[in-house]
Amino acid sequence: MPAISAILYREGKIRATNMIFVFWDFFYPLCYLLVFGVGMSAALGAPVSIPGVNYNSFFLAGVLGMASFGIASNSSWSFFMDRDNGIFYEMLTYPMSRAEYLLGKVAFNLFIAVSQALITLGLGAWLLGIRLRLDFLPLLFVSVIVGTAGWFFFYTIFALRIRRNDVFNGVTSVLYFVFLLASSMFYPIDPLPRGLRTVALCNPITWEVDVLRYATIGYGHPPKLALEAAAFTVFAAICFAIAVRSLHKE
Amino acid sequence: MSTYALEVENLVKVYGGRRSLFGPRNEPVRAVDGLSFQVPRGAIFGLLGPNGAGKTTLLKILSTLLAPTSGQARIEGFDVVAQPLEVRRSICMVLQETAVELFLSVRDNFLTFAKFHGLDGQLAAKRAADAIALFDLGAEAERKVQDLSGGYKRRVQVAKVFMVDTPVLFLDEFSTGMDPILKRAVMDSLRKEAARGRTIVLTTQILSEAEELCDDILILDKGRQIARGDLNALKLLTKSVSEIVITFDELPQGIERVIAALQPWQSKIAGSTVELVLKTEEAQALDAVSALAKMGRVLRVEIGGASLEDIFVELTKKS
Repeated sequence: MPAISAILYREGKIRATNMIFVFWDFFYPLCYLLVFGVGMSAALGAPVSIPGVNYNSFFLAGVLGMASFGIASNSSWSFFMDRDNGIFYEMLTYPMSRAEYLLGKVAFNLFIAVSQALITLGLGAWLLGIRLRLDFLPLLFVSVIVGTAGWFFFYTIFALRIRRNDVFNGVTSVLYFVFLLASSMFYPIDPLPRGLRTVALCNPITWEVDVLRYATIGYGHPPKLALEAAAFTVFAAICFAIAVRSLHKE
Repeated sequence: MSTYALEVENLVKVYGGRRSLFGPRNEPVRAVDGLSFQVPRGAIFGLLGPNGAGKTTLLKILSTLLAPTSGQARIEGFDVVAQPLEVRRSICMVLQETAVELFLSVRDNFLTFAKFHGLDGQLAAKRAADAIALFDLGAEAERKVQDLSGGYKRRVQVAKVFMVDTPVLFLDEFSTGMDPILKRAVMDSLRKEAARGRTIVLTTQILSEAEELCDDILILDKGRQIARGDLNALKLLTKSVSEIVITFDELPQGIERVIAALQPWQSKIAGSTVELVLKTEEAQALDAVSALAKMGRVLRVEIGGASLEDIFVELTKKS
């Protein structure tokens, strides 16, 4: 525990002394919802063919999923920055295990993710009139936590195994493109062409966003969602194991 | 409990030979090749060697950053592979590359480091203030490290090791980027730490630094030990090397020819001073001095044994 609290202290200090980090950490998904969500809704009318669900409500889960993905991506960049500054290797000689190091980092990311979710849900409901399923809030926060942790461990694998910034840039761009667009984040996947729909069904972002959508507005089929939730948890656990292994190889 | 702070047995590290993700296949390189040695507690131990000798790889293994391919290494009795956490609790490391928290102030760098090493708030604040004073960082204490020069960043990095009481310190070329006054102060502080019983393991390319600081020196080349001992023991390994310095009131005409005839290992003429390094026995070195002294009026003569630099060059050439 002292090692994890030291990492929380470090990450907190770095964020707290930089207002741009603070703004970005807490308001990024809300900004996305207010700009992209409202813009799409206004420009295309009601692009979602789900009765009783407007685009802002539909996109709320997508923006929370995107936030967990974005936090992981930014955090993996911090591995690169720390490696460039040399502090990454020095930290690996501090009195803590590799697993504690990763858990400390992910704990801080979870704090950010839950804070982001609270702000986005609260202001989203207030400003855009999104009707939330308050009875599903515990499920929502569990989904945000597992989702953020899963993507953090997933990205950590690439951040630790790739040495060059340009290669990492290329890989993350492809990951963003495939994971975010071939998923249920921006649109329902049922009307998609068969090939794209198959990719989206196998995409862990879809599994996460579907659960988040159920937890925010109650849309989805519980048996399918249970399967998706289980699949994502397995995905997160495998990523954690590989990330710890990668860190041992540093 | 072992009397040694460090024990290394048949340590081997082979790099490469496998394809890495997104990278080409590398040919295997034996960076550390069967090293065995011990370092007693409280010693200042120098690891010397040319670039690529394996010094940094060895320090990385000892500090649990790298796993050895085979062999064993123990720090304070703890195995670096089987008990990495106990090893990390026993060590403090200054890496060769600058390692600082760029987005934090100098003081917050120290406080964060203290937090990782389990110092409580008041003690951490006191140790941070002491480190700031020792390294003359008072004017920079509240500035973010990203705004400091490279030399100041290095100060912050090195200052941290004086905040904690870990029994073993690893310093990989600690004086890089330091001005001479600060370097002297740090070297004095390192001697005090060793006198308190801390074991200091350092690598350096500046041989005068090792000559001045180290009780015990290990010279490496291509991952292997080529010499080991204190400075006097190492000098015995190259006892046929003599350094001669002669200052004339005026540089004699034709002295270059006489110097060339002596076939020196190294030679330098600066003003009216001639410096020679001869690979010869003591009696012949005296004959050389005599021959040179006949050429003009001599103001000063010095004859000495090999410096660490001479020993280092001699041994690494041999290897």
